[in-house]
Amino acid sequence: MILSKLDAAKYPFTSLAAKIVEKLETELGVDSILSPNSEVLRRSIERIREAIYSGVTSIYMKDLDVEVLSHPLSLFLVKAVNNPKLLNVYAEAEKNRVFVNIINEDVNKIALLANDGFNWHVKVEKERIFLRFDEYLKVSVNMMDSYWKLVNRKLEEGYVEVTKRDLCRLIAEAYRGKIIEVVMRSKENIHGGLNAVIEELSKEVKAILPPTKIQESVALNEYNPSALPPCILKLMSEADEGKNLPHMARFTLATFLISIGKRPEEVIDIFRRLPDFDENKTLYHLRHIAGEIGSRTKYMPPSCATLRTFNLCPSSDEICLKIRHPLSYYNYKLRLLRKK
Amino acid sequence: MRSFQESEDFVKRLFKSYYLKWRGDPPREYHKREYAFMLSRKGEMIRHISFENWNEMKEFLVKNVPLHVFYSSAYYLQPSAPEMEAKDWIGADLVFDIDVDHLYTSCKEDHDNWMCLDCNFNGKGVAPEECPSCSSKKIESKAWFCEKCIDVAKEEVIKLVEDFLIKDFGFSPSEIEIVFSGRRGFHVHVESDIVRELDQRARREIVDYVKGTGLVLREKKKKLLIPPLNAQGWPGRIARGVYEIINSRSTHDVAKLLCLKKGKGITEIEGQLKKILSKLEGAEGYWMLEGEACKVWLKIAEKAVLNMRCEVDERVTTDIKRLIRLPETLHGNTGLIVSKIKMKDLETFDPYVHAVAFRKDEVKVKIVSMPKIKFLGQEWGPYRDTIVEVPLGLAVYLICSGNAIISDEERRHHAKGDI
Repeated sequence: MILSKLDAAKYPFTSLAAKIVEKLETELGVDSILSPNSEVLRRSIERIREAIYSGVTSIYMKDLDVEVLSHPLSLFLVKAVNNPKLLNVYAEAEKNRVFVNIINEDVNKIALLANDGFNWHVKVEKERIFLRFDEYLKVSVNMMDSYWKLVNRKLEEGYVEVTKRDLCRLIAEAYRGKIIEVVMRSKENIHGGLNAVIEELSKEVKAILPPTKIQESVALNEYNPSALPPCILKLMSEADEGKNLPHMARFTLATFLISIGKRPEEVIDIFRRLPDFDENKTLYHLRHIAGEIGSRTKYMPPSCATLRTFNLCPSSDEICLKIRHPLSYYNYKLRLLRKK
Repeated sequence: MRSFQESEDFVKRLFKSYYLKWRGDPPREYHKREYAFMLSRKGEMIRHISFENWNEMKEFLVKNVPLHVFYSSAYYLQPSAPEMEAKDWIGADLVFDIDVDHLYTSCKEDHDNWMCLDCNFNGKGVAPEECPSCSSKKIESKAWFCEKCIDVAKEEVIKLVEDFLIKDFGFSPSEIEIVFSGRRGFHVHVESDIVRELDQRARREIVDYVKGTGLVLREKKKKLLIPPLNAQGWPGRIARGVYEIINSRSTHDVAKLLCLKKGKGITEIEGQLKKILSKLEGAEGYWMLEGEACKVWLKIAEKAVLNMRCEVDERVTTDIKRLIRLPETLHGNTGLIVSKIKMKDLETFDPYVHAVAFRKDEVKVKIVSMPKIKFLGQEWGPYRDTIVEVPLGLAVYLICSGNAIISDEERRHHAKGDI
């Protein structure tokens, strides 16, 4: 099975797409590709605008060379605009584009694309499709639904069974990750002629994708015990009973309370009844967590997934089903309580 | 107090003699690992040490005689950098920890005991959360590792290695190393390029898989697709687990499991169980279970998951920068060797024979308390506040675990420098 130029246009992560880009860059020269009336530049801007306005990019069939070349240039422009929201929106739109195309391919071709683009090991046996478990995990950890959890999968001799649709979703998701990685890592060196274009694009992006205000709803100094999530309430009552809490439980409690604006000196009281309480040690750890000493990192509380793994998730209520992080729970419930 | 210090010195001298003859193998790519040591019982851990040459490790051990020796499961570009961020993590082995502390064994009632540090109230078995007499939380427990405990831990290791790591995850036996932890359990190291770069989240998925955490069992419209007994992975495990429960328990027991009111619907349940059992025995592929029996299946399946899962400590596996005991070094709380074990030898492995470092001589020790223990093939104890002459290895074990001190007689003897 050989990949065509059309495949390179549809699937920018293939080695063929990279080869075509390299060849055309040498033939045409970077200056002509980046000139103001360049077709590639026009298409690259269009591609970004498609992402912003419709959430999915299309394929420009009129000129496949232009389409293939517009991929790296679009990424370059996204980097130059330097708007994290745009990066996410663009990566998501490209992911959708790949998915709607790849889902219509033959299974063997999908396997080939996965291997060519991401070095994945896909096995197709009779009616069943398998992907090596480490490759599966690298992507599936970003999927929220229990459907994707390894424990709910058939795992045989190192390979996870997937449906054709699953495999397409995993490839599209891996591509999304790759875009984000490439843009984050690339060094910026703006080509002088592009300044005006980038300026204009930035304005447009700002207008359409206004930055989300970081919600100040985790109102510092607004401590409302009624808004605490079930996991934290349980840990607090256990600490109050003087239970010997495991490390992860202590860490969760400390990071959570510090994140919602309590000071280490206030948090320390929670730990007072623990059997091995040591005032100086505890305060030292709390100040470390708050970023006041040591590496100055402010530690975040663990996510719901982590808490579940460590058996610290008591049981969820209806709010838990909507969130992935205990801090989101607190925010959400604070807003609810305010409305009331 | 002096005698306690002398006992400590006695142990130190023995540890030194062990390390003088030490020939431990380096871990894979040892120069990319971080090493850490504890030199005394109350001291700090010395960390961020690396070795360019394995002979330096031996020199370090002889010179400092550490009580505990650890190495990182992680590989770093700069293993000795004092800040974790500056170490430049490049990967880590996949490590599992199976410890009797996390497993239920009935024998704990016989050989474990605890004492309240506030009112001296004490009891047998696993320590309670709080003292039943004065409600204090300050409880000190003494735990032992008897033959039953060892067998339970071994079973868990076999389950992990053969059932999960080899069958499901497809690792080859040559990538898996089993190590006796030196105290009450085993470590399983997987050194494979496939897992080396997996991050914490991916490793959490692996732990959840092994422990059956987050396993979803659901019926759809009163229908359930049931796997055959020989299905691979969790589906087969659940089918076999359910089969085992129905097969080995009375209908009344199963009814209890289903939280049924006494005697209610027993005949009905009996019918459903019979049907499930015969279907399970006859089915070659997946089959459909319908109606009320689905509820029965799901309830039993929940229990089956608990029976079939593997009890590992998730903290160890999800930590990509874990320090873990270096094989062939001594465990400072037991004096036993942290021993590598081949899978084929696991069945017959006895820590009180194969992990004993000091096999010659006998010494007199003053034992505070000790349950009956089989050591070097002989039974010893139980003892309480007595002076006994025991094999040197057992004496070291008791002194390291804080259950004995060298007797006066022995001290005079050793003061002359006989050891």
